[in-house]
Amino acid sequence: MQPSASNTAVKIVLPNILGYERIAMACSAYFAQLNGLPPDRIEDLKTIVAEATTNAMEHGNGGRAEARVSIWFESTPEAIRVTVKDEGNGFQNTFPDPDIERIMDDRETPVGFGLFLIRNLADHFAYRQLPEGGHRIEMRIAMQP
Amino acid sequence: MAMQQHTNEIHLEAQGAVTILDIRGDITAFSESALGDAYRKASEQGAGKLLLKIEKEAYINSGGIAVLIQILAQTRRKDQRVAITGISEHFKKIFNMVGITKFADVFESTELAVQALT
Repeated sequence: MQPSASNTAVKIVLPNILGYERIAMACSAYFAQLNGLPPDRIEDLKTIVAEATTNAMEHGNGGRAEARVSIWFESTPEAIRVTVKDEGNGFQNTFPDPDIERIMDDRETPVGFGLFLIRNLADHFAYRQLPEGGHRIEMRIAMQP
Repeated sequence: MAMQQHTNEIHLEAQGAVTILDIRGDITAFSESALGDAYRKASEQGAGKLLLKIEKEAYINSGGIAVLIQILAQTRRKDQRVAITGISEHFKKIFNMVGITKFADVFESTELAVQALT
């Protein structure tokens, strides 16, 4: 299942190499700029793309070197939509929001910030386990606040 | 898993009673060792007031945020004061969102931060 048949959509496929999320960030920034997303929202977009891509590499694909991460960028008059798909089964969308007070007191480990940032910066966030395998995260950043 | 390793260059500098950790490069989970070593060195030298100076163009991801919070937790246990400077407006928003600003004030410049800590 492809996220969209739009003829302006862009798809990139990344190897499962931590650090390559920077390629997705750069691509998202150019795509959003071309489609008129305001600069402060482009920064939000770059962050959520980086976090979703890193999650896909580390947790979704479980670090497997042969796995890939596919990312689609689409634009509508209302929003920039990004879909990130992995090929694994390790990802869980069940982390509670991290509590910095508890972390500072050593009562909680500092994890879950990636999903926390996605939930708080994206205007829409949906997660789905795919029947054919892998997971898909769909995120939207609205053109207008 | 395969990864593009990077390291941080961190210079320690004293300005009066404030020890500045001048952090060059992105802040990610890979920064844990360099940042931890620099913090330990500053603490061993008796630093009671620390300024984390981060590059404005630095990429800070969730792993880097976790590393910074671990450093802040140590400063709290040692009763050290901490401030942050250099970060972009976007990361000011992020630091506020995750709660870092409850434990370290963010300043526009090194001078303002040193003044506030002194």
